[in-house]
Amino acid sequence: MIVLNQVSKVFNKGRQNEFVSLREISITIPRQQVTVLKGPSGSGKTTLLSIIGGMSRPTSGRVTLDGRETTSLPERFLAALRRETFGFIFQQFNLISGISILENVMLPAVPNGERHAVLKGRALELLAMFGLEARAAARVELLSGGEMQRVAIARALINNPGVIIADEPTAHLDSKLSEELITIMGRLKQEGRTIIMASHDPLVCEAGVVDNLVEIRDGKIRDSAPAQ
Amino acid sequence: MANIEKQRAILDFTLAALMRRKGKNAALLVVYTLVVAALASVMFLTKSIRSEAAAVLADAPELVVQRMMAGRHELIPVSYIEKIASIRGVKSVRGRLWGYYYDPVFGANYTLLVPQESPPEEGMVAVGQGVARSALAEVDNIMPFRTSQGALFTLTVGRVLPAGTELVSSDLILLSAGDFKTLFGIPDGMATDLVAEVSNLSEIPTIAAKIARLLPDTRPIARDEILRTYDAIFNWRSGILLAILSGALLAFFIFAWDKATGLSAEERREIGILKAIGWDVGDVLMMKLWEGAALSLTAFLTGVILAWLHVFAGGAALFVPVLKGWSVLYPSFHLTPSIDMMQLAVLFFLTVIPYTVATIVPCWRAATAAPDSVMRG
Repeated sequence: MIVLNQVSKVFNKGRQNEFVSLREISITIPRQQVTVLKGPSGSGKTTLLSIIGGMSRPTSGRVTLDGRETTSLPERFLAALRRETFGFIFQQFNLISGISILENVMLPAVPNGERHAVLKGRALELLAMFGLEARAAARVELLSGGEMQRVAIARALINNPGVIIADEPTAHLDSKLSEELITIMGRLKQEGRTIIMASHDPLVCEAGVVDNLVEIRDGKIRDSAPAQ
Repeated sequence: MANIEKQRAILDFTLAALMRRKGKNAALLVVYTLVVAALASVMFLTKSIRSEAAAVLADAPELVVQRMMAGRHELIPVSYIEKIASIRGVKSVRGRLWGYYYDPVFGANYTLLVPQESPPEEGMVAVGQGVARSALAEVDNIMPFRTSQGALFTLTVGRVLPAGTELVSSDLILLSAGDFKTLFGIPDGMATDLVAEVSNLSEIPTIAAKIARLLPDTRPIARDEILRTYDAIFNWRSGILLAILSGALLAFFIFAWDKATGLSAEERREIGILKAIGWDVGDVLMMKLWEGAALSLTAFLTGVILAWLHVFAGGAALFVPVLKGWSVLYPSFHLTPSIDMMQLAVLFFLTVIPYTVATIVPCWRAATAAPDSVMRG
């Protein structure tokens, strides 16, 4: 269970361009379910995801993961948390260009110090799962949007994380690919993973796989309810 | 074991990342390699010439006694031999005849010497490789000279000295005592200088002091002093070359500093991605450390190998006119490889370490920033 208690985030605090992104957010995200943070651009969804995923720290408030507080963890432990507990799928996919698909998928596991052959085998298995094993050596910039998305998902899964965080995962996809992504998310949920997505795409928000819908606007939670 | 695998994985990624910017990194590598090669060439050449000179001069006389007049080197009476031989500790004393001859035809200065052992017969000379090259002299050729009286004086080339001793014999002409005296008009009973052998090398300073007291118009010169003079000359010459190269070195440092310290937007973004997917600051810095080390170690090793080939296989074609200038006849001989590990270590610490550190510093700031910027595309 991921619990956020009175979480606020202020950028450029004390300066002229101070901006309050999140205001005293308290929310509980259950495990092994799909939770969607819904809201318009600038509502604070991405900031909230980055705080949940340990990429940034709240200005005030606490985040606990299965009862363990993560907000005050030193950077090294926070990096390990990002690596071992979370798998990230970014809006722009954020794959590293110039290197192969396989190398991209293996990247999050590099600091683990696993045997190269074992890691490579696991990365190839994941690529096979997404029908990309034949293109393992291809460079990422040569991929289509759908292929990039699947590589990004494979990379998010390389360390077998319990929580998948996806920020606007369908923003650059057509309807067919968006539906494909939702199907994959459903599969990951069945495997027992927790999925947290930020999206304002009706295809995602209204998908049958979604368990909880949290509506955010102006940095505050407007509504939090189980999905219909 | 896990740490080795981790380092290997980071290095794998670093090399793959380096290959992405082939043009930029290749340009840097070429410039870096050339700078290391130039500096290492000067070091190798200076060191091996000094070793060579020291090896050849090891057979030089332990003590040379010159007569001075008005602060200038003057002919010395052979009667001084007996006086010096009477000093305790002196094993033997003999006179030497040597001097310089300017050949106006070839515009070259020769060193003329009467060897102690097996001098050429009257009318014959043995010439160094440089003389043979410049005067186009072969065995049995006649070499014309002008005596101090202006008369023509011809000598026949009996042999050409071996190339192995060319560093000190390039401009040398060996001839008999009689011919030498005729050529320069040196009176009987005089020599150019005297050389003394001593029984105990540690007594050389004492014996030199006794000679100076006994014969106040003379100047004793110990072999060590000659070696020190050669050392000083080569240090001075390599200093000149390094001063010239320092411009190139400075340009390289500016280039490398710019390359190493300037983190592109693309590199910043990549660091953000790596941190977001679970790399910590240490991992990112380790990657940059490997990047700097891979580039600078490759440049260093390639540069040193190129310098080795340039100096010991290619005869140091680029620097030899400055470092090996000897009269006007340049010796040409194959240098024996001789490397000062201390100098190599200094070169390593002046090139590899600063570059590697320079690559890490800018990365530090990017790596310590929160990774959430990548979430915002």
